[in-house]
Amino acid sequence: MKEKYQEHLASIPVLEEGFRSVAYIADRRIATTVYLAHHLEKPILVEGPAGVGKTELAKATADYLDLPLIRLQCYEGLDEAKALYEWKYGKQLLYTQLLKDKLDDIISRKNGFSSAMEKLHQYDDIFFSWPFLEPRPLLKALQEKDGAVLLIDEVDKSDDEFEAFLLEILSEFQVSVPEIGTIRAVTKPLVFLTSNNTRELSEALKRRCLHLFISFPEAALEREIVRRRVPGISERLTRQIVKFIQDVRELELKKVPSISETIDWARVLTILHAEVLEPVLVRDTLNTFIKFEDDIAVVAEKLHQLTATAVRQ
Amino acid sequence: MERVLEDFVTAARTAGVRISISETLDAARAVETVGYGDRALLRDVLAVSLAKTAAEKQLLEDCFDRFFSFGFFAGAAEREPDRGGEDPSRIKVESSLVRMLMEEDRAGLIAAMTEAARLENLSQIRYLTQRNLFAFRLLSRMGVDDLDRQLHSMRAIDTPAAAAAASGLEAAKRYLVENVRNYVQNTYELFAGDEGLRRLEGELRLIKLSNIEQRYFVRIHEIILRMVKRLNDLSSRRRKRARRGVLDFKRTLRENISCQGLLFTPSWKKKKIDRPQFVVICDISRSVLRTVRFLLLFLYGLNQEIARIRTFVFCTNLIEVSDIFDRCPVDEALSRIQGGADIPLIMGRTDYERSFGDFRRNYLDAVTRKTTVLILGDARNNYNDPCPDHLKAIYDRAKRLIWLNPEVPAFWGAGDSEIRQYSPYCSVIRECNTLNHIERLISALIRS
Repeated sequence: MKEKYQEHLASIPVLEEGFRSVAYIADRRIATTVYLAHHLEKPILVEGPAGVGKTELAKATADYLDLPLIRLQCYEGLDEAKALYEWKYGKQLLYTQLLKDKLDDIISRKNGFSSAMEKLHQYDDIFFSWPFLEPRPLLKALQEKDGAVLLIDEVDKSDDEFEAFLLEILSEFQVSVPEIGTIRAVTKPLVFLTSNNTRELSEALKRRCLHLFISFPEAALEREIVRRRVPGISERLTRQIVKFIQDVRELELKKVPSISETIDWARVLTILHAEVLEPVLVRDTLNTFIKFEDDIAVVAEKLHQLTATAVRQ
Repeated sequence: MERVLEDFVTAARTAGVRISISETLDAARAVETVGYGDRALLRDVLAVSLAKTAAEKQLLEDCFDRFFSFGFFAGAAEREPDRGGEDPSRIKVESSLVRMLMEEDRAGLIAAMTEAARLENLSQIRYLTQRNLFAFRLLSRMGVDDLDRQLHSMRAIDTPAAAAAASGLEAAKRYLVENVRNYVQNTYELFAGDEGLRRLEGELRLIKLSNIEQRYFVRIHEIILRMVKRLNDLSSRRRKRARRGVLDFKRTLRENISCQGLLFTPSWKKKKIDRPQFVVICDISRSVLRTVRFLLLFLYGLNQEIARIRTFVFCTNLIEVSDIFDRCPVDEALSRIQGGADIPLIMGRTDYERSFGDFRRNYLDAVTRKTTVLILGDARNNYNDPCPDHLKAIYDRAKRLIWLNPEVPAFWGAGDSEIRQYSPYCSVIRECNTLNHIERLISALIRS
């Protein structure tokens, strides 16, 4: 990491303030982990329920440190070609066709097969050089001279082979392209891996990373998040919304609403110019933060009770 | 300072957090970067670098709270002021320990205690019986001998002031001993808490199931559940890998001949792992009942996708009980079968000929080319005619037939055991009377 972010990452309180300035409200544990990740040069594995701010953390870090965010979305079947680099086959073929005459010239001047081959060998590296290399996210991250933030999203959706391949990159931060050589990272990127826990990640990958678990925040933190993300919302409405959602999280639902849903609902209510929570209003906007029919039924039963408790805030 | 971290990692490992050496090194570097000053910060840093799942984080935080608890020597104010109005400073201070006790210097006492613990390697404590020994050693290190000497000399002087002073000092000594004992107990729980349990578990896996007492049943239950979970995890991962295959080049070429050899449609090698089918035939006479219970607990714990099981029990005759086992848990099902009046099972003397005959007549279609038949019984036919023809019929139809005998091999063939007559029609005969046997057997069956 260059010196220009040394002062951004000088200490944990500075980091917390920095996150706040880019509208990401982080608690102490998150700031500590990012601080450690930078100083120990280790990747961070972020786990937690959906919508809790894992991807946002990487974006906020990139914003705050003014680094490019390089994103790799994982899925089953993702392999080296799509993640690391690929040759621009089309370009290579095109150039060969266009330069066909030139090639004929080179070869035909010499008589004899072996001398023609020798002549060709002098040129064969041209078609496997930098202009024909298509870097994909991982290689792009390594090539950034001033460093970058690399976000590998939903690592648990990829398969075992990809994880093994990732392991090598994350430990050495270098890649060898047979035709060109070894490409080392000038500045090691800050790596974030996110996971939704749909499957167990391999031990080797987990051991290599610092593990951060982001769960649902407490009421005070959530209120602050809503305040920052939804400018212009009244304090009273914020308190009521947060209380309501925190109570809904206690119910037995298929999918519990998370922070992004809270923010969406707050935005919707602001657009509707609501000042206070009312049962009718809540019922109408229920589907902003509850995504399953069964869950809507469960919440609708307790609607009045929950609204009453929330309004008392 | 590394000692502290090392000890903490040991304590965490005892609590059940899996920490590897590289993680310990990471934690050491992280703590160096951050420092030991702030307790909450240290907790966060250790949680982030040592615990890699949400459950482990919880365990680690509990362990941290216990390890770095400094609630000892807290009740200093509640000591009996048994001095009869004597000024405590009158007690001559002859050693630093006495001074600390008299001045109620809590920090000093804790520091002295932890230093003594470090010198005596208290973190090596393993057994409950070592507690007194360690407490004694700790007290010696802290200087309790000087305290005793002073007490003795005080009692030798025969004045009321000296007597009052002596009783004050005794109260202080009692207080010291109690706190040191608590500290040793706490450390024992941190470092060796589960040792006894772990050894018990190791033993339980090797004891003959027929000899196990009722009170260990719950423990065995838990062990079986754990084994089954492991098997489930292993087998389900393997199945996923088999769904996608590598390129089957020969088949691709063959299929693309019509395209003049251009690889238009690739075809893939598909490895299909079939769900193994089991037919389990159990003898539920009293001698074999325990083993049957645990084997069925194991089998029915396996995930539905890993095996399909049909269960039959016999004593004098044979009946199918798969539906009872599908509906109720194993214990309940077994007691229903044994006591049930609505079940056409005759609990008389074991009759292998009639039972196998029943199976052959009524249920032979359950056995196909792909079925593995497991027979659990001791082959003791009460000196009746064994009639191995029925078994032969089953063996011919099945993929393989495995006989599990809960007796030790030395008894096979002794007395009324007909295992020798049955052995030509069994693919393999295995001894099966401990948990280890059951586990090995089931994992071998699932893998093949």
